[in-house]
Amino acid sequence: MAERNIESVNKVREAVSQDLLGGRIDLLLGWEKGHYWWQSRPLFARSEEDLEKLAWDSFCAVNLSRYLLEELKDHDKIGVLVKGCDARAFNRLLQDNMVKRDQVILYGLPCPGMLDYNRLIEKAGGALLGITEENGRVILNIESGEQEAQRDDLLLDKCKDCRYPDPAVYDQLLFSPQGEKEGPERFKTVEELEEMSAEERFGYWEKELSRCLRCYACRQACPFCSCRECFVEQENPRWQGRAYQPSENFMFHLVRAYHGTGRCIDCGECERSCPVDIPLQELNRKLIKDINELYGDYEAGLDAEQEPPLLTYRPDDPAAFSEK
Amino acid sequence: MPRTGVFICHCGSNIAGTVDIDKTVEASRNFPGVVHADEYRYLCSEMGQDIITKAIKENDLDRVVVGTCSPRMHENTFRKAAAEAGLNPYLLEVANIREHCSWVHKDMEEATPKAIALLRAAAAKAALNEALEAPRLDVEKRALVIGGGIAGIQAALDIAEAGYVVDIVEKDPSIGGRMAQLEKTFPTLDCSACILTPKMVEAAQHPNINLLTYSEVDEVKGFVGQFDVKIKQKARYVDPVKCTGCGICWEKCPSKASSEFEMGLAKRKSIYVPFAQAVPMVPVIDRDSCLYFRKGRCQICEQECPPQAIDYEQQDEIIERRYGAIVVATGFDQLDPTIYGEYGYGQHPDILTGLEFERIFNASGPTGGKVVKLSDGKPPKKVVFIQCIGSRDKARGMNYCSKICCMYTAKQAILLKEKVPDAKSYVFYIDVRTGGKGYEEFQRRAAEEYDVAYMRGQVGKIFPEDDHLVVRGIDSLTNRNIEIKADMVVLAAATVARADAPEVGRLVGINSDSYHFFNEAHPKLKPVETHTAGIFIAGACQAPKDIPETVSQASAAAVKAIGLLSKEKLQGEACTAEVIQSECSGCLNCEAICPYTAITPVEIEERYKDGVLKRTVAEVNPALCQGCGSCAVTCRSGSINLKGFSNDQIMAEVDAICLQR
Amino acid sequence: MSAALNETAAGWEPLIVSFCCNWCSYAGGDLAGTSRMSYPANVKVIRVPCSGRMNPLFVLRAFQRGADGVLVAGCHPGDCHYTSGNYQSRRRLSAFKRLVEFAGFEPERFEVRWISSSEGDKFAEEMTSMTEKIKALGPNRKMRDARWQSVTSKV
Repeated sequence: MAERNIESVNKVREAVSQDLLGGRIDLLLGWEKGHYWWQSRPLFARSEEDLEKLAWDSFCAVNLSRYLLEELKDHDKIGVLVKGCDARAFNRLLQDNMVKRDQVILYGLPCPGMLDYNRLIEKAGGALLGITEENGRVILNIESGEQEAQRDDLLLDKCKDCRYPDPAVYDQLLFSPQGEKEGPERFKTVEELEEMSAEERFGYWEKELSRCLRCYACRQACPFCSCRECFVEQENPRWQGRAYQPSENFMFHLVRAYHGTGRCIDCGECERSCPVDIPLQELNRKLIKDINELYGDYEAGLDAEQEPPLLTYRPDDPAAFSEK
Repeated sequence: MPRTGVFICHCGSNIAGTVDIDKTVEASRNFPGVVHADEYRYLCSEMGQDIITKAIKENDLDRVVVGTCSPRMHENTFRKAAAEAGLNPYLLEVANIREHCSWVHKDMEEATPKAIALLRAAAAKAALNEALEAPRLDVEKRALVIGGGIAGIQAALDIAEAGYVVDIVEKDPSIGGRMAQLEKTFPTLDCSACILTPKMVEAAQHPNINLLTYSEVDEVKGFVGQFDVKIKQKARYVDPVKCTGCGICWEKCPSKASSEFEMGLAKRKSIYVPFAQAVPMVPVIDRDSCLYFRKGRCQICEQECPPQAIDYEQQDEIIERRYGAIVVATGFDQLDPTIYGEYGYGQHPDILTGLEFERIFNASGPTGGKVVKLSDGKPPKKVVFIQCIGSRDKARGMNYCSKICCMYTAKQAILLKEKVPDAKSYVFYIDVRTGGKGYEEFQRRAAEEYDVAYMRGQVGKIFPEDDHLVVRGIDSLTNRNIEIKADMVVLAAATVARADAPEVGRLVGINSDSYHFFNEAHPKLKPVETHTAGIFIAGACQAPKDIPETVSQASAAAVKAIGLLSKEKLQGEACTAEVIQSECSGCLNCEAICPYTAITPVEIEERYKDGVLKRTVAEVNPALCQGCGSCAVTCRSGSINLKGFSNDQIMAEVDAICLQR
Repeated sequence: MSAALNETAAGWEPLIVSFCCNWCSYAGGDLAGTSRMSYPANVKVIRVPCSGRMNPLFVLRAFQRGADGVLVAGCHPGDCHYTSGNYQSRRRLSAFKRLVEFAGFEPERFEVRWISSSEGDKFAEEMTSMTEKIKALGPNRKMRDARWQSVTSKV
């Protein structure tokens, strides 16, 4: 049992059902409960019956905007529930001409951050039956009774340092905004890695990347990976060797990260979807940090009108190499 | 598998001296796809080219690799040879084993394996070469000249005389430029207006020349032969067709503003022509000072104008035209010497710049041609000229020499002596530079016959005292301190690029040096061309220069433009980008970064399930594409590629070079 | 394994792949040649039309295939034959350089320089200094594709 707030789900359902049942949208992208109470998965709602399954709880981490890529082929108008990161993902797709603004209605959901099941069971120290939430606290139902914890301590990594929990773009905002957050530890790991020697850093990544199965789940989850044909699958030229091999793992992850330069919205879906827990977001965050340092503040997905940093330049730009 | 032939040139001993030719030929035979390898003393010779052509035919070669000098030298020679044998010229690759190998490495041990690696890379690339065709492009038989000074006028006249239509775009209300502001010209002392005005009139009356004064270039798109230009013609508020130039309007106009033409030393009316010989003789209304535009009343000009040419409702107009060639001749500005506090410029009316002093001599200038001090109207008896204000000043100004100051200072000192016979001139200089026909003689005359005192040294301070200006300096030859009680000080302020030069450069698509002077394509061999084909430069927008040099450069630019306009067709770039539309996801990042607007979105239809799906993808206009390949890098999925330097070709080169490991 | 052993032997020479833009840096290389300057043969140049053509993937490919260092050279800012190619590559390659360093490559392994067509001396100097720096660092094994290590030159 994981409903944070029945009323809030009802409010969401109320907002979208009129549009869906009234024919203003052909499809609603939302969340529904998965097999377990700690799982919320994408919901593709086309009917009143579908809408009954709608969920809006602390496990709706899946970024929904990316599903537009496929769904827009079959639907003229789609409604999407967007948290801060889903909205930035939408802007990302908009900037890449993957969607048109008038094809989509966005229902904005200011996001309190999603919970990490692993952190929950760790906290519970044993079998966890369910949770209830109130006022920033989470009550864990364990076999021996109840245990209380601060919600902030149980957030997903991707949510812990989220700076923009409110949707940057929406047609309708369903709850009151959370406000911009600091995200003080956003670049902490990046900075720690920067402190290391080149050898240590290489060792770190060699170890982390050695686990890569090249399942490409990270790519499938990613809102900036909208290419029709990914470079890893191109035959001519074959950028990416097929072999399951350290050199090729580096190739894949460095290129994928580079392709996100100035485009990654920092939603962390890549890392969350990685079955072998590679800290992929650190690669992306390194690029976000550097681009901001070198070429001025830019947060991908915040403003679809702002030119992405690799698509523009200034004659007096600095460089990361000697220009003498 | 391709059938590649490898040909290695000895270049006499230039290559053969440090590259073991036999070893190289042997190694080449083992490269994938190579079916023939040969060598010759001079492949670029007739004989050498014959060897290649014959071998292509005899061995049925479909790829050719030539190991020789830089492709920047002889790639075309060999491409032609290949074409003669019936092979598409783009199926040939050059390995640079001279400039990049035999000439920079000491011995055979070093150079031979490198030559082999470079040849292997060239063969690997050649295997992936495709037959390419360079597009044939139309040429619009019309030229645009930006800037109506002496450079622009000369270029336009020359182009017009050759039979092509030229438009001159001038941002001021009249053509004439800086030369119109000058009194006399060195070293002959002929009156500037007397030699310029006839040219202005000739330009205005030439059937092939259109003057677009009070106009600015707003946008330049397209490419050599087909530049699509938007020109903004600013509203004059006077109908040029009705206006007779009678002058009643500016005579009657009650409001005044500072005159740009007089360098702010005099006033002009709010409806005005900048100077008496203006072409066209059609005034403009300056909205900022006009009473009607500011306060809604007055309208005296409208009431007084006999042909009723005043039109307050006139709007800026955008003219869109296509041109085959563009000459940029936007001229120069003079540095504002206020940044040099020690000279007191701006704080005393008798401290002037060279160009301002020029106006003092002019009969239509602020003093009616009387050489007097602006402070009290009395003739100056002692005038100090200071050279290199902002020029040759690494620390605070420009590194370069402004080139014209030594000569115009000598001229002004001579003119001063003629107008005020008891005046004495002093010139502080770093060096006196008088290269040019009759220049040295002219400067010597100033010093010897006109009693001009030349002092090598610098001025440290100028300040007013009683009714004169105290000039304190050092004579660096004698190391003496000098103090002159002067009546007037003339500062030879640096010749600098126009303030809007960076913007003009960006607009037109040509680059500049660090001082914003436009860059020529080659400092010696292409002095009027730019890196952008079809755009030429003339006059002081390229670097400081005097009138004769400006005029020569303008005629040179005109000849280049005429040469271009006289062509029936131009050969375009063969190595252009190409979109694989089935793979393109239509993100159009390539469109955003293309410097030539060669990429546009296009809608295609694709089968999807039972129906058809429309989607947007990128498309390249090969006539516009110049082959930089930046789009191919922006494209994450490799759906846009550059012919001749494709992703797979470059990777094949990398792989081949790394095989040496 | 044998290749790796060879590399540590005294005879090891680094391989440096340099991508040079056609208009400035490649021409600067030509000038170095015509002026008979000298630099180590370790450097092998690949000609590209513009530094804007420089896809970072080419750099990684070179490392995979055995390059010990990669140097990209283009026109000085403001001098690009295509007006903006080097401005674009400055941003791309700066971001990429920091990324490969973050992945554990020594900063010297991947460099970018602006070399004009009149800077034959600078071309020779940069090629020499790159070679010396890489020699000091030793062979690059990071990202080296093991399958390519056994392929050695017959020269």
